[in-house]
Amino acid sequence: MKSFELVRPRTLDQAVTELAAGGAMPLAGGQDLLGELKEHLADPERVVDLKRLEGLDGIDVDGEGNLTVGALVTLTALEEDPRVRERFPVLAEAAASVGSVQIRNAGTVGGNLCQRPRCWYYRTEDTPCLKRGGTECFSYAGKSKYNAILGGGPSYIVHPSDVAPALRVLDAELELRGPGGERRVPVADFFTLPSEGDVLKENVLEPGEIVTRVRVPALRGTWRSGYEKFRERDSYDWALASVAAALRVDAGRVVEARLCMGGVAPIPWRVAKAEQALLGPLRDESAWTAAGREMVRGAEPLEHNGYKVPLARAMIVKTLRRLTT
Amino acid sequence: MAARDNHGTGAPWDDAFRVVGQPLRKVDGLAKATGQALYADDVQLPGMLHAKILRSPHAHARIVSIDASAALALPGVHAVITGADLPIRYGVIPWTPDENALAVDKVRFVGDEVAAVAAVDEDTANAALDAIEVEYEPLHAFLDPREALATPEPQIHADIRGKPVRGNVSKHVELEFGDVEAALAGADLVLEGEYSFHGSTHAPIEPHCAVAQVSADGLLTLWSSTQITHYVHRALAQVLELAPERIRVIQPCLGGAFGGKSDPFALEFCVALLAQRTGRPVKMLWTREEVFYAHRGRHPMQMQYRCGAKSNGRITGVDARILIDGGSYSSFGLVTTYYSGQLLTGPYDFPSYRFDSTRVFTNKPPCGPKRGHGSVQPRFAFEVQFDEVAERLGIDPIEIRRVNFQGDDTQTVNGQRITSNGFLRCLDLVEEASGWKQRRGQLPYGRGLGVAGSMYISGTNYPVYPNDMPQAGIQLKLDRSGVVTVFTGGNDIGQGSNTVVRSIVAEELGVAYDHVRVVAADTDLCPVDLGAYSSRITFMVGNATIDACRKLRHQIVTALAEAWEVDPRRIRLMEGRAFDVEDPDRTVPTREAFQVAEARFDTLGSTGSYNTPQLGGDYRGGTIGASPAYSFTAHVVEVDVDVETGIVRVPAAWCAHDCGRALNPTLVAGQIEGSTYMGLAEALLEEHGVNRFGLHRGPSLLDYRMPTSLDVGDIHAMIVESVDPEGPYGAKEAGEGPLHGSIPALANAIHDAIGVRLRHLPFTPGTVLRALRDQGGKGEGAAVGSTAAATSKREAR
Amino acid sequence: MRRMRSLRLKVNGDEVEVGAPDHWTLLEVLRYRLGLIGSKQGCDKGDCGACTVLVDGAPVLSCLTLAALAEGREVTTIEGLMPAHVARGGAGADPVQDAFDRCGALQCGFCQPGMMLSARALLDRTPFPTREEIQQALAGNLCRCTGYTQIFQAVEQVAAEAAGIEPAEPTWATYREAGQQPSPRARGVKGEDA
Repeated sequence: MKSFELVRPRTLDQAVTELAAGGAMPLAGGQDLLGELKEHLADPERVVDLKRLEGLDGIDVDGEGNLTVGALVTLTALEEDPRVRERFPVLAEAAASVGSVQIRNAGTVGGNLCQRPRCWYYRTEDTPCLKRGGTECFSYAGKSKYNAILGGGPSYIVHPSDVAPALRVLDAELELRGPGGERRVPVADFFTLPSEGDVLKENVLEPGEIVTRVRVPALRGTWRSGYEKFRERDSYDWALASVAAALRVDAGRVVEARLCMGGVAPIPWRVAKAEQALLGPLRDESAWTAAGREMVRGAEPLEHNGYKVPLARAMIVKTLRRLTT
Repeated sequence: MAARDNHGTGAPWDDAFRVVGQPLRKVDGLAKATGQALYADDVQLPGMLHAKILRSPHAHARIVSIDASAALALPGVHAVITGADLPIRYGVIPWTPDENALAVDKVRFVGDEVAAVAAVDEDTANAALDAIEVEYEPLHAFLDPREALATPEPQIHADIRGKPVRGNVSKHVELEFGDVEAALAGADLVLEGEYSFHGSTHAPIEPHCAVAQVSADGLLTLWSSTQITHYVHRALAQVLELAPERIRVIQPCLGGAFGGKSDPFALEFCVALLAQRTGRPVKMLWTREEVFYAHRGRHPMQMQYRCGAKSNGRITGVDARILIDGGSYSSFGLVTTYYSGQLLTGPYDFPSYRFDSTRVFTNKPPCGPKRGHGSVQPRFAFEVQFDEVAERLGIDPIEIRRVNFQGDDTQTVNGQRITSNGFLRCLDLVEEASGWKQRRGQLPYGRGLGVAGSMYISGTNYPVYPNDMPQAGIQLKLDRSGVVTVFTGGNDIGQGSNTVVRSIVAEELGVAYDHVRVVAADTDLCPVDLGAYSSRITFMVGNATIDACRKLRHQIVTALAEAWEVDPRRIRLMEGRAFDVEDPDRTVPTREAFQVAEARFDTLGSTGSYNTPQLGGDYRGGTIGASPAYSFTAHVVEVDVDVETGIVRVPAAWCAHDCGRALNPTLVAGQIEGSTYMGLAEALLEEHGVNRFGLHRGPSLLDYRMPTSLDVGDIHAMIVESVDPEGPYGAKEAGEGPLHGSIPALANAIHDAIGVRLRHLPFTPGTVLRALRDQGGKGEGAAVGSTAAATSKREAR
Repeated sequence: MRRMRSLRLKVNGDEVEVGAPDHWTLLEVLRYRLGLIGSKQGCDKGDCGACTVLVDGAPVLSCLTLAALAEGREVTTIEGLMPAHVARGGAGADPVQDAFDRCGALQCGFCQPGMMLSARALLDRTPFPTREEIQQALAGNLCRCTGYTQIFQAVEQVAAEAAGIEPAEPTWATYREAGQQPSPRARGVKGEDA
């Protein structure tokens, strides 16, 4: 790691000012940032420690059941919170599936959403790929086992966050704070495809802007939700394909369905037609299969990731089987 | 001449072991548990500099120029060295010295060492690396062994030891025993198949580290995380052109090796030279990425096997053709090439056998010896094919292995002497413990059982460099306090060899277990042992220890018998006391017995040694793979295959291993469990490979997926004690044999589970789904796999 | 230019003040400034767990924690376990350390300081964990030697001893060929007729 100055603001205003001044990067749990710095993917002059900011490390549920999670809440705190586990199991399960015990003890919700891609070309100093200002996405003609089958081009990264697909099916909003003030962005609009946004980043954050809170609206009615993650190792690994699902159930029927996949696209991948396919009787295998088909419609695998297509379908069936049993 | 006395397999006192065979603690266990144990990176010396290495970004290139002036000018930089400073080539095998500590003229893989710097701290050293200017002229890089074999130019190595290299062939061995073609013609069934084994690496948790210090009078001391202290000592003398008596090599506590630290490495030469140049201690700790590039791991092999069998299952002949991807340097490759053929001739009787193995150079990280060196890959291919032979002939896979058992006290087709052989007992045990008879073929679709057998060497009589001296030596020193200090050149790399030595001394001299101190792997203090490779230490150092103990025991007993005026045969040394067996009231602590002996004979000490008997076939290479004893193993692996996702889980594995006699069963069990785990890991999760630029595709412990505590099933270790006539108290090896069968047993279990033969490793979810699609599988699951036929975007364009 | 900072840390119960550059991790400060070399550097990128220490009782990766961020928190390294055990009236090593030694869990031992701290944190929260809870708690610590079996057994032995019950037999067993005399006290030995 190259040397830098550690800046330790006490207020959000100071933090945002420091970040906006350029040459600075925000530090929360540090579980991704320190890896980036050690791999020389970034060499900031200043690192802005957000951990001293007050009021961003709490989990609150208001009288109406709306959930607010501070960006500095650790993944362990999120996964262990009894209110989250009871009301938003998909979120607790997603948090529990991240990294390892140690990483969840330090890693934060905000950091998980803003972590950088894990593509090995991106992470290797010696391959200046598209995401690092180069001209080529090396996975396109190279080793593409872990890359995107949907939404790819010109970069084929997959978004590594587990929390993001869970928040996506909870229709959550993110509270952002930057030099221009505060704004709220639905999770649906936060992540950007490489073809539509700046290929050097994965979200709409402006320079100097950070995520401060996650707001999850109360779920009304009877919901079942859960997160299933397929990975090669049961610890440390990111998803090869993961499924966040939330179903509103009424009288033995699915009356509302939300379905989002991780590990298959540069953003959390939600498909309305897949969700529509699930409306109807609670346990309907043909509906699950149809949802899987819709979810991967248009998939364009690279040389080594064709397996993700049947895997994604299988994961959807597995998730729905569990949630409806 | 080295003693080759055979001390027998029994207990030294009254036919009952008191220490040996007990599940005792390790000599260094509590030091490791409390954080007190010192590893190489824990060596901190006053005024120590930190060194870093500049590595090639090219897979194959000529070095046009190196300009280190800007680096040298940086404040805090004390020295920069390049290939010109260390021009002498070395190699762990003296016949193939093709490595330079730092590249001379050309680089041969991404990661090849080009220059080294010593600076006040790591940050400054890293900054200095950035300031070194190297101009390269890239050459065509061979990443595919078939291409390297077919294409003689450009050569990766033009000559080695003055001998021209033929194209890019590192080594070729072709040996035939009996008439294989006739044997296959006479078979009722001949199967032919292609198999491949991918690359995998050791990934010890401790990265390589070395520290050098030069005294004012020019003595060089090197602390290194090596498993071959003696060879490092020799290599340093050769490359630094320094007399060996001016060099001391010490292996501190070692954080895992598995074969990955059994070559001399660039960092050892670099810190030594940098310490000489700067007059200050110098440390170099490799990053995890550098450890992946240093590699020396499992050779990828492409294997064609033919196996002929009679309808009763008896093998008539086996024919193998193997292409070995050696990477950029020879390392142990000469031995690897022999081992790929020589170590397959048990535990089954091969009436005829032929192998044709070719190792080629490629521009990739150099391959070398990984646990089960050279024989894990052929074992996989053969045992999978053998399973198919059983299937075609309608014979139970365990039964066909029994039918072909070679027996004990016999000789293999390639002239290797087999002494004890507990393979049948191993088969019986895994069959019973796994519920094979009741469960195989009866499990639901997706679940299955598979079996495999194997054998491995307990040391080799090939001592790397030819000499008549012992392969293992021991020195003992007795103290009036009752403490016995053992000096051994053996490298304890975590396997517990120092603990084995301690147990033998406690057993032989009757001293309390914790009164034995072990000083190991320090070339100034310890007699030579060749190192921790080829599963040789327990066998050879153990025998040497018994040898040394018997000499001292004789003196102690004689002195006591004289003092007590009794027949020496009445004296016993046991559990911290000496006593007269016919008058047990006449007893003293061993401390006093030592004092009596010291008064009688002078200061007490002894030496012991071991050398192998003359072994091996009477043909060129016949001694490579010849071992004083062979271990035998049987595995049954149970799998649970998810046909929707392709993931393979191993809920349970049973491994019965014939280790002769377990000198410490806790340690043997640890080796069996660790080996089985490591085999299953490389078959299912791990892959060491490069991308089209020759860059390692994931040089981190995240991308190199070794299993976590959540990824392992129950491993049941069963220790079979055949008691070998040659081993110390009958012991044989346990550290490598129990890896071999885990991989083919897994492949065979997958076949039992889903009806698909997997012949190409690794067995990733994608591979399994593809195989289900291509081979159809059995039963209802086949349709799931067939949907995996998504076309590749690149193919479509 | 390297920025130095004076840090006040609480490590193994002691308040210490050290100077370190801003970009130094807790692992670097522990090893290079405080001489606590029991915390190991296996990968330096948070991928192996060998550098695990306890911060306020929870396992974290000291290689991914800037030293400055440990200020005001209680850091426990492997060196802290035995003194804490002795201070509580125990003798010798912490029961976790002792059981790891007894059960053969320490082969090369390099990953084990981190592993034992993860085990300690688990047992402090959950004194009688199930096998699955043990596997979950140790899933951030890679071990390359053991295949984890003897590690699981060690943690289970600590729990069994704390509960005053006989620990389970190890899963391994020894089988002698006919005619060989079994060692008198070897555990888990099964004879010909087993």
